Amino acid sequence: MIIEFLLIFPLIGSILLLIFKSRNIARPLLFLYSISYFLTSIYLCYCIHSNIKIGGLLKIYFAVDPLNIVFLLILSIVFLAVSIYNDGYVKVSDMKKSKLSYYSIGILLFIFSMTGTILSTNMALSWVFIEATTLTSAYLVYFERTKQSIEAAWKYVFICSIGISLGFVGIILLTIATADINSLFFSELYNHSAYINKTWLNLAFVFFLIGIGTKVGLAPVHSYLPETLSVSPAPISALLSAVLHNAAFLLIIRFFHITVLAGNSGYGRTLMIAMGVMSLFVTAVYIFTVKNYKRMLAYSSIENMGIIALGIALGGTAIIAAMIHLVFHSLIKTSFFLTAGNIFKIFKTKRTNEVHSIIKRDKLTGWLWIACFIGIAGIPPSPLFVSEFLMVKEMISSRHFLLMAVFLILLTIIIFGMAKRIIYMSCGKDIPNTHNHDDFEGYADKEEHKPVLLSPLMYVPQIILLLISALAGLYMPGILSKLLEQASLLI
Amino acid sequence: MENTLALLFGLTMLSMSATSRMKSYLKMLSIQGLLLFLIFYAFMEQFNALNFCFLAFETLGVKMIIIPLFIWRIIKKGKIYRDTSPSIPKFYSLVAATIILFSGFVFSVFLKKMLINTNPLSFGVALSTIIISLFFITIRKKVITGVIGYIMMENGIFLLSLSVEKEMPIIVNMGILLDLFIAVFILGLLVKRISRTFEDNDMDSLKVLKDSVDDN
Repeated sequence: MIIEFLLIFPLIGSILLLIFKSRNIARPLLFLYSISYFLTSIYLCYCIHSNIKIGGLLKIYFAVDPLNIVFLLILSIVFLAVSIYNDGYVKVSDMKKSKLSYYSIGILLFIFSMTGTILSTNMALSWVFIEATTLTSAYLVYFERTKQSIEAAWKYVFICSIGISLGFVGIILLTIATADINSLFFSELYNHSAYINKTWLNLAFVFFLIGIGTKVGLAPVHSYLPETLSVSPAPISALLSAVLHNAAFLLIIRFFHITVLAGNSGYGRTLMIAMGVMSLFVTAVYIFTVKNYKRMLAYSSIENMGIIALGIALGGTAIIAAMIHLVFHSLIKTSFFLTAGNIFKIFKTKRTNEVHSIIKRDKLTGWLWIACFIGIAGIPPSPLFVSEFLMVKEMISSRHFLLMAVFLILLTIIIFGMAKRIIYMSCGKDIPNTHNHDDFEGYADKEEHKPVLLSPLMYVPQIILLLISALAGLYMPGILSKLLEQASLLI
Repeated sequence: MENTLALLFGLTMLSMSATSRMKSYLKMLSIQGLLLFLIFYAFMEQFNALNFCFLAFETLGVKMIIIPLFIWRIIKKGKIYRDTSPSIPKFYSLVAATIILFSGFVFSVFLKKMLINTNPLSFGVALSTIIISLFFITIRKKVITGVIGYIMMENGIFLLSLSVEKEMPIIVNMGILLDLFIAVFILGLLVKRISRTFEDNDMDSLKVLKDSVDDN
């Protein structure tokens, strides 16, 4: 019943919130769910590690295996961090009672749909849940109700829905490829992969990669992503970037694994390498033109998803590297987006050129901003250094020299572009803010220079996540590397 | 029988690419719902009451009546009865749709041997429907026509899943229907908000967020 608990809790919680609409229920409920979610996923991880069988009513449709447990763990850690931050964020934002209830319902349903995507054992069912993630998060993207958020929500729902529909075409084509295997359960597809028609499988993979790749945010189907991530409230951007993209990636990995087992992964690998490089290229080009720091983080997400796609496509040690990248990108990006939320609360603007000397205004936020950058740029002790290093090593050993050169050049350009902005924002002279706040009704602080007091809860999660990442970069615990190794066997 | 119905379905796509009136779009969407039910009925080999009721509800209830009515309400509120000035003239879009549909037929004839347990003609029509819908979304300018294009595409995908004679578990079917329904509902609500906030119903007006523009 333990998996069912993860799925049923948010549904009951949402109904309770819908009925009572109380501030006193909303906040503790989210926190309680995140804590119990975290503990449950630790227990599930223990079960997988010690081969304990997990029963339940829905065990045919939802189960954990060595691969999805990693994604579930990431979700639980990020969700816990976000819910701690959210508590402070809600206090500072001073939301109305009903707005807070709907916001909390949105988060609960969003987590529900992501959990469903990660745990489902059936390809079509996981498709249903990935579409549900778009629909449940639409309200959260639209939450601030500005002109920008309407546009972002529209693009998000419209483009993602079309993309995911194309992903479903991929699933239908897979059913043609599987001929007599009348099932879409991953285990059955894996077991009978030898009988799958290779031509149809290739065609199915193209549709699936393009479709679900939209949700992952891989270029060239990423266009909605910078808009969505820049407009949503900070905790939501963190969830979208750190967990949702991973959940969608899990589906691509599952499909890719079928092509590997069918002995027909060459085509898929080429496509994923192409999309990965394109993602890096798009980021390298746009990172210099963006004028909004949350958009910059969104492009960084596109870049990192590209790196993970590259790692998975390369195979060998690059798969473990991709898994390390996936885990720690999520943790670091969460703290990055949450810190961006602090900056927005202090400066009341998302324009990069109107944010100066964060360190002087708020020391901790400023240093967190720099630390997050060090983490995401893969500068030691960031674990992303290890993953990128391993990927380069794999490129050398598999003689992909051109790819390696392109990869390193694009990474350098991106890091330079980001560093320029981050240093400009963190240091420099403290210039008074001249931004016109008219477009931020409800959030505009009429008194220009009144210092905003952030809650201590708006620092704690970032510090913990960054510390975990730094420690893992210096010394990767045996249990974690074993977990990632076991997961990489299923890719 | 099923081939005739699939052909009729393809013809509704041609009709949609040649018109600009919202009312005719919705009529065609309703007809597509009915045709999908008939195609499902023609393909049915063994009678499964639960599956039959569910798919009848999906095609006749949701696709034929509820969704077109819902879109009609939005159109009436926003007073957008036509999608004038598409990116390319209607005649050319009709020609393009015809070429895509024809390619679908050719494709299905070529793939006949490779398509096991699949009706080639409806498979070809379904694929071309999906491509025509994407084309439709690209050339039309109103946001509401975007939603109509999305529904057309979903109908194409439904036809594709019908042409592959394999049953999905009922839980998956229900999830798919629920997703489609909520997606259309949310898109509909967003269309309403867009016409209220932007005082315009064109996709082109959604340009507040851009890399080069100081959005906020």
